Amino acid sequence: MSRYSKVVVLCEGRQDEVFARTFLVKCGFMVARIRFVVAPKGIGSGEKFVREQYPKEVIAYRSNRNRIQNSLVVMTDADVIPVSGRMKYLEDKLQDERQNPRRPDEAIGIFIPKRNIETWILFFMGQQVDEDTDYGHFNKQSVCKPYVEKYAKSRKQALPDNAPESLKLACSELARIV
Amino acid sequence: MLKRIYVDNYKCLVNFELTFGSICLFLGPNGAGKSSVFEVLQNLRSFIGGEGRLEQIFKHTSLTRWQTLHIQTFELEVEGNKGIYKYLLKVDYDIEGHKARVKSELLSYNKKPLLRFEQGEVHLYRDNHSVGPVYPFDWHLSAVSSIFARPDNKLLTWFKEQVSQIIVVQPNPALMTEISETEFDMPSYHLENFVSWYRHLSQDQGFAIELNKTLREVLPGFDAFKFEKSGDQYRFKAHFRNENKNESVGYGFGDLSDGQRMLIVLYALTLAVKMQHYTLCLDEPENFLALPEIQPWIVQLFELCEQDEAQALLISHHPELIDYLLASPVGLWFERSGNLPTRVRPVVAPGESGVPVSELIARGWLNE
Repeated sequence: MSRYSKVVVLCEGRQDEVFARTFLVKCGFMVARIRFVVAPKGIGSGEKFVREQYPKEVIAYRSNRNRIQNSLVVMTDADVIPVSGRMKYLEDKLQDERQNPRRPDEAIGIFIPKRNIETWILFFMGQQVDEDTDYGHFNKQSVCKPYVEKYAKSRKQALPDNAPESLKLACSELARIV
Repeated sequence: MLKRIYVDNYKCLVNFELTFGSICLFLGPNGAGKSSVFEVLQNLRSFIGGEGRLEQIFKHTSLTRWQTLHIQTFELEVEGNKGIYKYLLKVDYDIEGHKARVKSELLSYNKKPLLRFEQGEVHLYRDNHSVGPVYPFDWHLSAVSSIFARPDNKLLTWFKEQVSQIIVVQPNPALMTEISETEFDMPSYHLENFVSWYRHLSQDQGFAIELNKTLREVLPGFDAFKFEKSGDQYRFKAHFRNENKNESVGYGFGDLSDGQRMLIVLYALTLAVKMQHYTLCLDEPENFLALPEIQPWIVQLFELCEQDEAQALLISHHPELIDYLLASPVGLWFERSGNLPTRVRPVVAPGESGVPVSELIARGWLNE
């Protein structure tokens, strides 16, 4: 087994990172084998950072996948546009860089919580949520950990009907990674 | 947790104030005053811990060169016991005689006094803030350091204990010995005594087990640590498992590479910080590490700090560490032009720069 990164997580911020790390570790990945590429905290948009970085990470994935069994996890908020709209932004960006669209056999998972990652976390915490409300940030990102771990443990079970639609869509992406 | 420091008239720190979160990254050019802050913390820890007399710890050469004032001021704010402690130390220097004495040492909890040491006289206050004993005391020692635990001074002794948990280190694997003659309960500045400190920490079986488990993930082939006794000494060995055999081979700690020793030290420090609730001041931790080893370690430390299980103040110039940590607002930029005092401001990364923050720093564009 290679000792170097096997999963690259490209995400908008620290909350996404904690969510992804907690989930992946619970699924059996070693934290030392996960590489995080997180948008720097500043005045710019995390979404734009992910969109700009996405083709570069896809190129890196594709050019190394024959040598290294790796995978790419992308996390970006849908915000106020549909999940399909955010997905199209990423596809268009690939096309702009003259890259082929994602193929089904590629371990590239794109996770787009709507409205944002806090919506999913609050759902895991047992709250009734909708995908239009901006629930704001948690004071501590680690608050999500026990709930994400619980979800990761039961990930093979079907989600309840009241789960956010964006989370249901994410389940098909999950199959590419774990 | 350490919340604030104020320093006046110490090297380049003049009327200097800094507030801390659970993790902070000190950034800035050489000579900007980052290490001076660590030095002050180390000195205060030593003084309050009773490790020496005032003039052994605070040297008159540390007075700010361009000032004529002979008094240095240090303040610490520490959060704990559901309140805020404020500690103040004023050091008065006799330049010609190369001497120093305590002008005043004050400690309060939630703005109510616990100890006042002025004019060579200590005034103690009990936990219920009633007036306690008054007695003369040596001008060259910390009055706080001399207080031993009693049922009515738990607030004061908690502070003393908490300050003793500040550790300031700049690990240097080349200086670490693999032989231990005795246990040490604190690491030395360059971790020269790492093996003896590990002996102390590993009395807690949980520590040894968890460290072994972590190192098996990050150090290929690593199995476990063992001590070999030879006379009064112990030799520290790291055992590595053979790929195809169910056996391991022991290497003396000194036989490991600098990078391997550094990796072991950093994960041991991180775990110790978690278990002992240290405030860890770590100067250039990434030295000697291979590039893929930096992020997994800093992820672990960051997570502990974010969960308030630890506090870490880091100095680093490494892009890997800078770019990871600055995804959170934890950066503090130190700067100093010419012979002027150090000034600090939070690092705000411009989002549209097109290059990582570390690259902005390398180009000198961050604060332009």
